[in-house]
Amino acid sequence: MSALVEAQDLDLIYAGETGPVQALDGLDLTLGAGDTLAIVGESGSGKSTLGLAMGRLLPPEAERRSGSLTIAGTPVFEAKQEEVRRLRRETLGFVFQNPMSALDPTMRIGRQVARACGRAASENHVQGLLARAELEAPEQLVRRYPHELSGGMAQRVVIAMAIARGPALLVADEPTASLDVSIRAKVMATLLALQRESGASLVLLTHDLHLAARHCQSLAVMYAGRIVETGPSAAVLSRPGHPYTKGLLAAAAGNEAPGEALQPIPGLPPMLHKPAKDCSFAPRCPYVERRCQELRPGARLLGRKQVACHFAERLLAGDER
Amino acid sequence: MTEPVIQLSEVHLSYRGRGLGASRVEAVRGVDMEIIAGETLGLVGESGSGKTSLGKLCLGLAKPTNGSVRFRGRAMGTARSLRGQRSLVLQHPEWALNPRLRCGASLVEPLEILGEGDRKSRSDAAAAMLQAVGLDPSIAERYPGALSGGQRQRIAIARALITKPELVVFDEAVSALDVSVQAQILNLVKRLQVEQGFASLFISHDLAATRYLCHRIAVMYRGQIVEVAPQRLFYDRPNHPYSRQLLAAIR
Amino acid sequence: MRSLTQALRRFAAGDRLAALALGVLCVMLFLGVFGPWLPLGDPTKLAAGPRLSPPSWEFPFGTDELGRSFLPRVVEGIRYTFLLASMAVAITAVLGTLLGMLAAYLGRFVDQAVARFADLLFAFPPLLAGLLVAAVAGPGALSVIAVISAATLPLFIRVIRSASLSLAERGFVIAAEVAGASTWRILIRHILPNVMSAAIVQLTYALSIAMIIESALSFLGLGEQPPRASLGTLLRVSSVYLTIAPWLVGFAGIVLSLAIVSVNLLGDGLRDRVDPLRGRPLT
Repeated sequence: MSALVEAQDLDLIYAGETGPVQALDGLDLTLGAGDTLAIVGESGSGKSTLGLAMGRLLPPEAERRSGSLTIAGTPVFEAKQEEVRRLRRETLGFVFQNPMSALDPTMRIGRQVARACGRAASENHVQGLLARAELEAPEQLVRRYPHELSGGMAQRVVIAMAIARGPALLVADEPTASLDVSIRAKVMATLLALQRESGASLVLLTHDLHLAARHCQSLAVMYAGRIVETGPSAAVLSRPGHPYTKGLLAAAAGNEAPGEALQPIPGLPPMLHKPAKDCSFAPRCPYVERRCQELRPGARLLGRKQVACHFAERLLAGDER
Repeated sequence: MTEPVIQLSEVHLSYRGRGLGASRVEAVRGVDMEIIAGETLGLVGESGSGKTSLGKLCLGLAKPTNGSVRFRGRAMGTARSLRGQRSLVLQHPEWALNPRLRCGASLVEPLEILGEGDRKSRSDAAAAMLQAVGLDPSIAERYPGALSGGQRQRIAIARALITKPELVVFDEAVSALDVSVQAQILNLVKRLQVEQGFASLFISHDLAATRYLCHRIAVMYRGQIVEVAPQRLFYDRPNHPYSRQLLAAIR
Repeated sequence: MRSLTQALRRFAAGDRLAALALGVLCVMLFLGVFGPWLPLGDPTKLAAGPRLSPPSWEFPFGTDELGRSFLPRVVEGIRYTFLLASMAVAITAVLGTLLGMLAAYLGRFVDQAVARFADLLFAFPPLLAGLLVAAVAGPGALSVIAVISAATLPLFIRVIRSASLSLAERGFVIAAEVAGASTWRILIRHILPNVMSAAIVQLTYALSIAMIIESALSFLGLGEQPPRASLGTLLRVSSVYLTIAPWLVGFAGIVLSLAIVSVNLLGDGLRDRVDPLRGRPLT
């Protein structure tokens, strides 16, 4: 079975005033139908760029230098305009962070959702869709305007619009980050329920490791434009292979013992201006050795995980001792 | 028994809601709260629970419709009369500093407003403060636009502490930061409080960060404080069902 | 100084049209300022040539009804048009920015008062207002300035007020308040520098409106009186001879249009640099 999403050695830059900024640096990714993958990364890791790239929604200053990205068999960067539009309509569904900017403030909810459905947009269908997104009283909701909705409700409408045409792939970029903490879990649950129901795959972009692990089967950690570790969520979190993943877990509040200090990762993520020839994490890595600064690590298979570190096996063995 | 730096008694705050015919919003409904020097009180709750309003009351940015707010035992005066004694660190690092002023200028502003010392003493204080927050003093010459979110937030903290205030309010101060930067800032605030001894109110929706930083945590729900408990309890098992709900979200 | 030239260069590279407009305006300003000392002819010399003669080597823009060379008259017209418009806009910009900031920051009564005042001004069509003012105070430069101010003030007030409102919420402003900064300090140090760019963009649009109003009022005879002539006055005087000496209206009209279009394009260019809300095509 061929993968739904396949990225190979993807190299993408943003043309800037002071030179190019390397956003994706040799990124490899595979996602099958029905899979749920969380891509975890801090700011500057390139995860939002990856999300937008899937729909070829990047701004004009973005340029793919090399590598490929194929979604449902369509090569995203080579496809013609019409093919890309069809891809966006029928195969992709996006949920972004801010629901208020995703909805047209001048149009009633009913009409917006109807438009998202395409042709088969009867009143019943629209209300049915809103009900599936666990919104109450859809018959009243269709008459309202976006500004009358709470953040959570608006995001549910966005989710309803995203799954309207039964896309094969849902891309959610920090879908609950601007929502109230108390409803985040519920909105995520709705998103996942709808994803499961429709058999679509889900790519969840987030900086929250625990949210990622809680909701997705697989987890990929992104740093400096490439994926440094990927594997089943539980495996990645309980026995992280890459020093960066370890660093993130040690720095994140929530799992420390009372009185234990959080260990931030020293330094800042790099801003690359060309593809890295060495390991991008080396300057901040506590296990750095000479080889890290000379040769870029490839992905090594460790059990069910893939880790892009020269010393992955050794580190994992060290942890287990 | 040290007198609390800030003390709220039976405080109510309500204001007129927005929009046509909107009714009064009761943001704070009968809250008692106090913080002593050297202590950090965490304030958690969802938005709409009233935590930001409580923060404003502590800073004198809002006047209670009922009840009293006492700062150092006296009634809360105007911001001008209490200048230098209270300060604030807010959520968004991108707007924490005036983009048109060099970082150094933003940093010394509270001292200028205080009117003490001269230019030299102020710039010395700025340099000392920058080092205290782990930044190179040369950063004073740069504009905020050239800095990262974490760096800007550090400068915001430096600015908040430069007049050696007695009370610092942090309102979602680490929420917009990356995991690693957040850890750095939390550790920084912890250390600075031990060094300077200010009282602090840490408002956040993030129980994990709050639990790490604060000595006591108050949980706010619909304008009222439903539980106040020492930090340790939140590692083990808080009492109120709402607190437990918040805790479950971070496991 | 170096950063200014760098900024200009980037500006020129980014928006060719705006850069061109800027160039045209610089030429015009140069002519306006240095016109009298350039070998363009004497605008006051009566019967320098035959009346209403078409463009020639000696008189590149032809001659007007009194035999004066039209080119230097047009150059002088540029000067007066720009002078009047700029003075009016400068006064309005300062006043409007101040009122806008105060309205936004002080809120409530001040805001209401300023908003009503702006609405009142906005409600008056500039030309009717011009007639009224001219009837009361007599035609001339001052009346024109008054009308331009009244017409463009609401523009500044609204834009600056809106920009100031969003600024008042920003972290650094609230931090300054908590630190005990006086209202004046906050307005001058924190709000004003950050609304400057919005003000400058409005300045260019206001300038083009000002030039249009000035020309219209002068065309109606309510503005600059002869022998001082702005482009509008020239249009007025030349329109009588439209059928026999159309080049007069032609040159004055083209130069005026060029000036207004250039100011507008410059304003668009500035706004694009300042306001990041650019639409972008989907690739």
